[in-house]
Amino acid sequence: MQTKLFVIITSLLILLTVVELIRRQKMTFKYSMFWLGASFSGLVLSLNENILVTLSELTGFSLPSNFVFFLLLVAFIFLSLLLTLYVNEQNNRTETLAQTLALLEHEIRTIQSVQDTAHQSPKNPR
Amino acid sequence: MQKKRILVMIPAYNEGRVIKRLVQDISKRYPNYTILVINDGSRDDTAQKASQGGAHVVTLPYNLGIGGAVQTGFKYAHQKGYDIAIQIDGDAQHDPAYLKDVLSPVLNDEADLCIGSRFLSDRSRFKSTFLRRMGIRFFSVLLGWLTRVYLTDPTSGFRATGKHLIEHFSRYYPIDFPEPEAIKIATRYGARIREVPVNMRKRLGGTSSIRYFSTIYYMIKVTFAILIDTLKRKQ
Repeated sequence: MQTKLFVIITSLLILLTVVELIRRQKMTFKYSMFWLGASFSGLVLSLNENILVTLSELTGFSLPSNFVFFLLLVAFIFLSLLLTLYVNEQNNRTETLAQTLALLEHEIRTIQSVQDTAHQSPKNPR
Repeated sequence: MQKKRILVMIPAYNEGRVIKRLVQDISKRYPNYTILVINDGSRDDTAQKASQGGAHVVTLPYNLGIGGAVQTGFKYAHQKGYDIAIQIDGDAQHDPAYLKDVLSPVLNDEADLCIGSRFLSDRSRFKSTFLRRMGIRFFSVLLGWLTRVYLTDPTSGFRATGKHLIEHFSRYYPIDFPEPEAIKIATRYGARIREVPVNMRKRLGGTSSIRYFSTIYYMIKVTFAILIDTLKRKQ
């Protein structure tokens, strides 16, 4: 009984922390989905242990605890894959930004130098 | 015949000592071509020296690596509507005298990508070290096997690119160690690829983008990238 309570509290804590982070706009929904899903399924599994027992029997784990460890492992592998993907996405974006910035800067300097030469030799025959 | 607009792209990283001379040399030989130096986040005076020499200079805010710099050049060429973009190294390793040789197959519409090879030329004294030659040979065989395009110097960065490929490369170009992979990509777009002999010298400044300890990484990365590219759809 104590374990059950402990797991429920932990899951709730994670869930609430994530919700609070979203509320404070420190996390967007896109990046919090994983955590919401994980803490929510943790909550469901701890509230109803029959689900866990049935699932572990169905997948052939002799001990439900082993099934839990397996789930955790899979979840974290998936998470780190997701994070690698995000890092890559950011990398590609900053790269495109750097290139665009550099090209725009060159454009501005070209326009400026054209203006400067126009100012230096004003053709105002009046 | 309508006059073609030609862009000479020089990716440069900390080449302040040699870049001015190189730009002046190129603009003296080929006064009608636009010279663009892509200053890849150098920490020295590459940008000032290049613009003193009379080049257009695009300065990247941080070091992107050779592929990112060259892609910036392709983006510039594409935006400004250049017909041909020639890439030449900023360390004066490539002899500007051969620029017209690399250019002419693309100019005469005989090729979409023309690569300057140090191995086709008897006069090129600089042939790199034995290990590097082995690596280059490996990529020749791999590319030949996968694409039926047989090149002697697929790692050479002395190359001319036609309008069609400029557009594709401006959208996607490999980030690090791009040369052999770019050839593979070009064949996917049905490009005609040619090779011409050029003279290469020992570099005067800067360091090779392929440093000693990253050679193994280079070999694996490029091989993997080429193999992955075969999984992409033909255009």
